[in-house]
Amino acid sequence: MIKVLVACRAGVGSSLMLKIKLNEVIAENDYPITVEHSSLDELEGFDGPIVVTLSDVAAELKDRGIRKEIVGINNILDKNEIKNKIQIALKNIE
Amino acid sequence: MIEKILKRELIQLNVEAMDWSEGIKKAAYPLEKNGYITKNYINAILDSVNKYGPYFVITPHVALSHAPSSTGAIKLAMGLCILKNPLKFNSKDNDPVKYIFTLSSPDSSSHLDAMKDLVVLLSDSKFYKELDNAKTVDEVLRIIGGRKYDKSISSM
Repeated sequence: MIKVLVACRAGVGSSLMLKIKLNEVIAENDYPITVEHSSLDELEGFDGPIVVTLSDVAAELKDRGIRKEIVGINNILDKNEIKNKIQIALKNIE
Repeated sequence: MIEKILKRELIQLNVEAMDWSEGIKKAAYPLEKNGYITKNYINAILDSVNKYGPYFVITPHVALSHAPSSTGAIKLAMGLCILKNPLKFNSKDNDPVKYIFTLSSPDSSSHLDAMKDLVVLLSDSKFYKELDNAKTVDEVLRIIGGRKYDKSISSM
């Protein structure tokens, strides 16, 4: 199983909703993914290859040079967007 | 679950605001007045947006206004503020914002069920149409309370 971290600024709101939607996408597509969830502060302790977050946070993480596959989501309720971007991320870490 | 924390006194319709910061303040005010959050919590939200941008504009026209629990979230609650005129939050993809949900969660788990319900609501295009047609807080309460929430979401 591939570990994915869903993170947002505070770790209480947006990332939780994103986690719910991501889990729906994973279930519908049988992706071999387990999802963890936290605030950005806990990013350093995460040992999986993929981080999913909101697009503005993703841009900042990329600027910071975080060595993970960073996925930025614009509309966290859009399952098509999540699916397309997760597919790309899974390819990129192969 | 969401109908238990989205209380009558925390719902506002037809709210006028000049800009995003006034929108956030007006949306959060009933939560402060009723003791769910401190004034500092509102300042923390404004500071975060100034520092990081509109990170809680999560889907078109919807802001989930919140800050870390430690900044002044006293009791679990959610407010809903429907703006008369949608506001620019400088969100590239999801502007303009018409619906501001203000979340107060004193810890990282007590709001899980309410957030699941919120996902159900916000994923339903009919929900927005119904809100736009609502003229009173009672109607909004009926729209939110009268819904079937999918208890089968076992994603947490």
